[in-house]
Amino acid sequence: MAVPLAELRRLAIVKHVIYLLVAAAVAVPLIAHLLPGEFEPTPNARKLFDRVEALKPGTRVLISLDFDPGSEAELLPMGMAILQHCFQRGLVPLVMTNYPSGVDLARKIVEDAIDKSEEYLGKDLVSGADYAFLGFRPGDVNLLLGMGENLKGAFQTDYYGKPTANMKALAGIRSLKDFELVIDISSSAWVELWIVYGADRFGFDYGAGVTAVMGPDMYPFIQAGQIVGLLDGLRGAADYEKLLAQKGRGMFGMTAQSAAHVLVILLVLAANARFIFRRVTGKEEA
Amino acid sequence: MAEPNDNVSSVRKAIELAVLLALLGVFVAVSLFRQWPFGLKGVALAKSIGTIIAAGLTLVMFSFLYRDNPLFKVAENLYVGVALGYGAVLTWRMALREEVYKPLFMAPTTEALYAALLHRTVPIILGILLVMRISRKHAWPSRYAYGLIVGWNAGVGISLRTHTYVLRQLHAAIAPLQAAVATGSAAALTGPWFLDVFFPFVAALAVLIGTVAVLFYFFFSVEHGPAGKAVSKVGIWFLMVSFGASFGNTLMARLSLLIGRVQFLLDDWLMIGK
Amino acid sequence: MWYKRTIPLIVVLVAGLLGFAHEYVPHPISAEFREEMTTGFRIIGGFGLFIGAYSLLHMHVSRIRKRNPGWAYSAFVFVGAAAMIFLGLYNDGSGPLVDPDPGELTGLGWGYDYILVPCNATIFSLLAFLMASAAFRTFRVRNFSAALLLGAAVVVMFGRVPISEAVGEFLFGPDARQVFPKAAQMLMDYPNLAAKRGILLGVSLGAIAQSLRILFGIERSYMGGGD
Repeated sequence: MAVPLAELRRLAIVKHVIYLLVAAAVAVPLIAHLLPGEFEPTPNARKLFDRVEALKPGTRVLISLDFDPGSEAELLPMGMAILQHCFQRGLVPLVMTNYPSGVDLARKIVEDAIDKSEEYLGKDLVSGADYAFLGFRPGDVNLLLGMGENLKGAFQTDYYGKPTANMKALAGIRSLKDFELVIDISSSAWVELWIVYGADRFGFDYGAGVTAVMGPDMYPFIQAGQIVGLLDGLRGAADYEKLLAQKGRGMFGMTAQSAAHVLVILLVLAANARFIFRRVTGKEEA
Repeated sequence: MAEPNDNVSSVRKAIELAVLLALLGVFVAVSLFRQWPFGLKGVALAKSIGTIIAAGLTLVMFSFLYRDNPLFKVAENLYVGVALGYGAVLTWRMALREEVYKPLFMAPTTEALYAALLHRTVPIILGILLVMRISRKHAWPSRYAYGLIVGWNAGVGISLRTHTYVLRQLHAAIAPLQAAVATGSAAALTGPWFLDVFFPFVAALAVLIGTVAVLFYFFFSVEHGPAGKAVSKVGIWFLMVSFGASFGNTLMARLSLLIGRVQFLLDDWLMIGK
Repeated sequence: MWYKRTIPLIVVLVAGLLGFAHEYVPHPISAEFREEMTTGFRIIGGFGLFIGAYSLLHMHVSRIRKRNPGWAYSAFVFVGAAAMIFLGLYNDGSGPLVDPDPGELTGLGWGYDYILVPCNATIFSLLAFLMASAAFRTFRVRNFSAALLLGAAVVVMFGRVPISEAVGEFLFGPDARQVFPKAAQMLMDYPNLAAKRGILLGVSLGAIAQSLRILFGIERSYMGGGD
């Protein structure tokens, strides 16, 4: 059935008005640099934070940044926050990536986190001693299995070309079995591959950071204890920043997120109120 | 179905072109003023020009919200080509150069060459056979390569999926009920009844019922009788709640990406606050 | 013909049995075997690039040759691909503009950061607008299932943003700040968990069954068409 042109034009106007409202809801809080009010971090974010807090200073933590710049908006703030937490606790983060297109981004995250942490701690952090950036190695899941047997064999040098054989940052680490905690931040199936080929096989505690799209799918693994803590989208990053008492991109995005969500909810409720009213009064809607 | 764009008058087109040219002028002026690439060299110049181009591409992509237009189509096709080129370079670097070109054509010693030939000849032949899938008449040799890949992954997946996705999840589905009964029995004598006894048990039972109902909904091998239909209905309810949660989270994710783009335009392109 | 159908089926079965069995062999030879297979797949996968590139470029060449509507835009696909390949290969990826340095911007990195990433991220962020518009125009409570979906979506969308705490306090008092976040969390922890677990179990059991069908030659879609 052909729709009249006038009706199409009306729908087009409605559509564009909605687009402008969404754009305003997002842009205005960001331009005004508004921070959200007080909020309580989610239980899953708190569990991950507490798990990192429970580690003794000097503990090695493996952090895998398995995403490319396409997911940067949600996952970069998580990576920054977790790395800063590790440095503040005196832990030794070992950072890697399984994304060849994510190496530069991972390096940037490490370097930015170091800059911020050096300012906070008032001392320099030395590559190879206080942390190590291992970079990328091809092999997909076979790399994980190889790391489960001999990590220094899988990464014979770090990203900067320094041999790992006698590296201070890897002291006491022979394989994945020697880690108490591994954290993966990913926008892809790597989150689950780390469970299948990592946590379930080698028995370490496993924390994850994922995009909001993947968040609901992680709950079976959380409830089964296969994931000890989860950061879920930009809210997860904001939660972690809140727990660290820092203001990063996660926090600054929350006001825009709140405004946009409220807008969409009001739009949907208004449309449904009109729909129900028309149904009740006998005027059916197309 | 007629679209509003189909009957755009020539007057409107002229107005749109004038507005486009004006916006283009504003974009160039703002970019040059905020980025100020004059006097920069090397990496700094490349980053400055890159930021201007990235901002331009971002705004062109957003122009799709007004309507589909030639600039958007150019950007879209450019993106497809750039993605293909990038994927090609990565594949060359990670796979073909490291595993084929260097070991065979840049082998340091004869022994290394023989070792490379021993380990790599079969995969190279299979790779060439794989490419024959392009041919309509002579595609059958590609079945050897596809068979190896598909068969290996199928075999590896069986044991891993069984452990992580089936056994562990089944255990996690039943264990809370068992724990709720065990702790509830103990807590019934001492703690607050609702929080320590009733709620954990009911919650665990509800989750188990929901899991079974959802599984049953997807069981199409036999026709569902009246009882089966009732169970499927319960499964649908749980699925609807889950899809609603997924919708909410998906919207959140897309808005986060939008926030990221706006932050780029404000912080990196316009350098507001800097 | 036996070499067109039977031999590939035998290859599938043998590869599958080896893939399954090597997980249970603790001897170092199992790890070496897996290493060999992984290297082999990396090489074979590398050749897969030619299939993907051919498919895409053939489609655009056809479009240009037949002068289909929008054919001129297809030229930009070739421009983009050629530019990235040039930047990626010239001077080993550093490109003509900058000095090669692991910490600095390379030519390939420039193309990735300033062309690919903005287009990629912006295309996905367009979905935010389209979802909002679609939700307004089509999300209707026509029956109980739709009401459940809408209700869950609203609870999660509202409970997951910080403003919900202020609204909770405004409506129900200072002790009720966590009403909406807790409602969202409970929805995720219980009904969402049940449904996702059901889907996960179903998909996994289906994948296992499909794997067995592939191994035993019942499922042959990977063979493609022809005799």
